[in-house]
Amino acid sequence: MGFLRFLGFTLVRAGQGFWRNKMMSLAATATVILMLVLLSGLVIVLGGLNSGLAYIESKVGVTARLVDGLAPEAVDQLVADVVALPGVASVEYVSPDEAMRRLEQAYADRGQTLETGGSEISLYASIEVGLTDPAAATAVSAALGERPEIERITTIQEQYDKLLGVTNVVRLAGLSAMILVGLTVVFMIVNTIRIAVFSRSREIEIMRLVGASDAFIRWPFIMEGMLCGLLGATVTVLLVAVVWGPIQPLLIEIFQMPTAVGAQFFTFVAVLILSVGLVVGMLGSWISVRAHLATGV
Amino acid sequence: MTEARLVTDARPAAARLIGDEPLIRLVDVTVAYPNGKEALINVDLEIRRSDFIFLVGPSGAGKSTLIRLLIREQVATTGRVYLAGRDLARVSRSQVHRLRRRIGVVFQDFRLLPNKTVRENVAFALEVTGAPLAEIRRRVPRLLALVGLEDQAQQLPAQLSGGEQQRAAIARALVHDPAILIADEPTGNLDPVTGWEIVQLLLEINALGTTLVVATHNQEIVTALRRRVVALEQGRMVRDELGAAYRRG
Repeated sequence: MGFLRFLGFTLVRAGQGFWRNKMMSLAATATVILMLVLLSGLVIVLGGLNSGLAYIESKVGVTARLVDGLAPEAVDQLVADVVALPGVASVEYVSPDEAMRRLEQAYADRGQTLETGGSEISLYASIEVGLTDPAAATAVSAALGERPEIERITTIQEQYDKLLGVTNVVRLAGLSAMILVGLTVVFMIVNTIRIAVFSRSREIEIMRLVGASDAFIRWPFIMEGMLCGLLGATVTVLLVAVVWGPIQPLLIEIFQMPTAVGAQFFTFVAVLILSVGLVVGMLGSWISVRAHLATGV
Repeated sequence: MTEARLVTDARPAAARLIGDEPLIRLVDVTVAYPNGKEALINVDLEIRRSDFIFLVGPSGAGKSTLIRLLIREQVATTGRVYLAGRDLARVSRSQVHRLRRRIGVVFQDFRLLPNKTVRENVAFALEVTGAPLAEIRRRVPRLLALVGLEDQAQQLPAQLSGGEQQRAAIARALVHDPAILIADEPTGNLDPVTGWEIVQLLLEINALGTTLVVATHNQEIVTALRRRVVALEQGRMVRDELGAAYRRG
């Protein structure tokens, strides 16, 4: 009961404070929105890049072109030996006919027909090695390289590394921008609450004199900062919800994966935005209250 | 009618205090500021339950510092200040608010919240200490009746006379049923007649057991009432006399 009275008092006072100091409160809320919109964009882009990485990671393997005219027994032996290597999940033999069928299918998928100009073409045979761990790619490639049945080895490790590099750059740049904007937001909230503290200095003085506890004096201001954060976060969630539908095709086109879209990811982004808004609001007001609301000796 | 309310309001607080223990005791108290200036020097003082004390002295004599010590806005540089046997220097910061509920304070400038009515001003002092709504509804009208402001309950401070504002401030100072009421120049902003009315109210409150410490420059009132007078000059206590008059130098 006591806590509920305290909570009620704190919420009412925070709301009154927000309203009385509305220009500063709204300015602080606007900076919170700016920060959280940036955060949402960053999370969505990083979500897409990460799902791309996860996809490539799942596909990373080693493809080895076999020398021409290899006997079926030799192929079987090779497959058996490679399966036994550490880090290998699966080995699939792709015959020249299968390779041709895949090529034709790839053309068909794009709505085209493979034109060979009348000449008979023959593709090379290969084995596709699936890995349990992408880190094993190098060791498996080295082992395959020593085999006389292998003509040449190809992997998609390079592609993976490239995307990882892009992701890291985006992550670093995004986080740096977030920290800068975050500091601006905290600064805005610190100032907003400072003005609130000054404008209510008479009340605070009276509260002290009549024996109000520190919690009763401080928490309305902390709650006021949290209100700025929560309001900014709510507006941002609504903005993201509005653009979520229209940007879905774009996300699928850019990232080619469904991971970065969908209701589950939206829920994650919304919860993240609300949490960050609240925490930033609380942090800013807490700093301000600590600095400007000393409560006696 | 007023008398009966005063009895129920003031007695329990006084009764909580230890029998013969002085309510307030200052032992060789010195307050020095970082610049070396001493606001109080070697002050010894005992105030017993139900005492009525005038604290007199010129501006800068140390009266305000003494009041700040009593409400624990400040701590002594050396020496000890006790309230009901409790060393105020040992009261932790987190417990100061509990101590302040045992001390009511009124000031020359009333310090009412201008955007709140008289009733709200008094209720505010209970709200901010987490008092239950039922208690606020019960106590506020009684306190307003005690100070004679029932009819002005819904008015803002700006709509009241100076005397009425001081009455409202006194009602607020009494919300926690304090053992001691400290009044810092309570008549300083009032005309002589209104000043006397306020002093009369303070006397009534004291008569019912609340200890009164009144810091004042009002010679007429001090001399007329012939109560205990504690005089400070340049930080030193130069006089502590019962039934005394105001006297310069």
